[in-house]
Amino acid sequence: MARLLVVDDESSIRLLYSQELADEGYEVVTAATAAEAVEQIGTQDFDLIVLDIKLKNESGLDLLQKIVKERHNLPVVLCTAFSCFKDDFSAWLADGYVVKSSDLTELKEEIKRVIAKKGAKPA
Amino acid sequence: MDWECCWGKENIRPDECQQISEGEEVLYTSRGRRILEKCVECPLFRNDLRKSGEIDSPLAAIVPFLVEGVLEQRGKLQSMVGFLDSKDREIKFLHEISLVLQTSVDLDEVLSVVMTAITAGKGFGMNRAFLLLTGKERKLLQGYLGVGPRSLDEAWQIWGEINRDDFTLKEMAKNFYQTKFNSEKVKFHDILERLTVPLAEQNHVLVRALRERKPILVENAFNNPDVDPSLARTLDVDSFLITPLISRNRRIGVIISDNCITRRPITPQDVQSLETFAFPVAFAIERASLYERLQEELLKVTAANVKLKEQQELIVKMERMALVGKITSNIAHSIRNPLMIIGGFARTLLKGAAENDPKRGYLESIVREARQLDGVLEEVLNYSDSLYPTLDSWDVNQLLSAVCRELDGKFAERRVGCRLRLGVDLPQAHIDYKQVAYCLRSILAGMVDSLADGGEIRVVSRHEAEWVVIAVEGAGKPTGVGGLESVTSPFASAREMGDGLGLAVCRTIMEKHGNILEIENPPEGGMRCILKLPIQKKEDVYGTVTGG
Repeated sequence: MARLLVVDDESSIRLLYSQELADEGYEVVTAATAAEAVEQIGTQDFDLIVLDIKLKNESGLDLLQKIVKERHNLPVVLCTAFSCFKDDFSAWLADGYVVKSSDLTELKEEIKRVIAKKGAKPA
Repeated sequence: MDWECCWGKENIRPDECQQISEGEEVLYTSRGRRILEKCVECPLFRNDLRKSGEIDSPLAAIVPFLVEGVLEQRGKLQSMVGFLDSKDREIKFLHEISLVLQTSVDLDEVLSVVMTAITAGKGFGMNRAFLLLTGKERKLLQGYLGVGPRSLDEAWQIWGEINRDDFTLKEMAKNFYQTKFNSEKVKFHDILERLTVPLAEQNHVLVRALRERKPILVENAFNNPDVDPSLARTLDVDSFLITPLISRNRRIGVIISDNCITRRPITPQDVQSLETFAFPVAFAIERASLYERLQEELLKVTAANVKLKEQQELIVKMERMALVGKITSNIAHSIRNPLMIIGGFARTLLKGAAENDPKRGYLESIVREARQLDGVLEEVLNYSDSLYPTLDSWDVNQLLSAVCRELDGKFAERRVGCRLRLGVDLPQAHIDYKQVAYCLRSILAGMVDSLADGGEIRVVSRHEAEWVVIAVEGAGKPTGVGGLESVTSPFASAREMGDGLGLAVCRTIMEKHGNILEIENPPEGGMRCILKLPIQKKEDVYGTVTGG
């Protein structure tokens, strides 16, 4: 069973992702801030991180850079309300990019694709 | 003593004096005037003088001295009157010319007056004249205009015309300006070209006249060491006058004049008259030149002003569009998260709801509306992004094929046929591929929605002058004249073309690129969208173009 870390400052979104992704067979852990995420990555193993770009006053892209630097094998899928960051060089560090939508199909497919590509255990 | 002349008579009859002509009848009864004006030159009077010597009159020896004295004084008087008459004519002529020169600011009109005055018999009467002007860069003395005949035959013809027409000097100048100015320039083109001299050649006789600020009368030109032999050959005349044109300290040019046909010597009087004439001429030419430059500058300033106004309007428009973009972007992003939560949980609930659950319908409505709103948000964000195009050269046919392929599913679903007719040898268009593709998708999708099942959409690409043109045509519901405008206004609610925002985004994108989007209602019904994409890369008026 793949373990996912969902990093989003919106509690409702964390809840939604947890439920939906759990239904897909993943084990889901959530974090509301960058610091919380760093702490969890440091203490637990994850197969993939779903990361929001805007985390209140923090930047998800900064966190992405930190993850890539310290855990370069850990895949990250950016999930954001903004499509414009697709052209940001920092965003290219991520393994996937999904624009938030009420239909989570695209996110689920992207997670499945990235995990398969990285050779991690599927859900 | 019988006197032969009538000097002794107080009054005479008409047949008594052959010297008195028509119009001089007053002399019949005016003895004193008759003696002074007629008798002193009359041969009969001389005979009478001889006879008076024979009778030993003491006055007979004195009277011949008196007569000679009178005749001499009369000669001097006539010469002075002639001189005064010529000066009077010259002053009147200069006055007339000055008036024209002062009132005209058209350079060619001024030059017409000047050259006519120099060459006309009623003016200075020179056979031929050439005007050389210093160029704008002040590096060359360039031949500008020549006036006069090129051969004896032509001279007879011109002078015949002048005698026949009997124009005043002013009329001649006007006639020259209107009918002959350009032809005379062409006629002497070869000579004028050869007369061009660099102002740096300080010793050239033409430049020397300018430097020394005084006329130079060149004589014996073919053997004159001061004259460049090529100048003598060009003018093909032995004697010519160079008159410098100087206004204040500015060297305007020179006038070369000669009598190449009549070979009449150029007199000191000619030199003096032309020198006097040169001052107002130089002033008038300078004034006309300055006025001409002023007009040129005025045109430039006016054009710059118009462009500035256009730019200002564009900036205002862009600012407004940017503001609209910013607001819509902020609103869209603010809506996206809650919408996602609402729609997402509704989907979760729907998944867990039993098939016969009465709340399932409500949940389905929430999911459907959330999906609809997702689409609207996507369009709104595309609209904001369209403010920042990335331009490059693209194959329009490839773009059209790709977009139509993408929509294959939608076409099939609605049983709509899409007929592509791609132009051959199309040049590449300078466009933002992504955004033009969005436009096309939006137009095609909107058209499919407006078509009845089984309809057809025709897409044509072709090359037209500076554009690659794409025409998309479908037989949907007509939009109407007001509708055409409304569907291309941001946030219009026209539903004829999809969700209302589609064509507004398209128009923004197209205008941003300097493209054209035309929407027409063909008489046979439906709608036709014409997209005109530029072939040439244009100067980007919006500043730095960034990625979308």
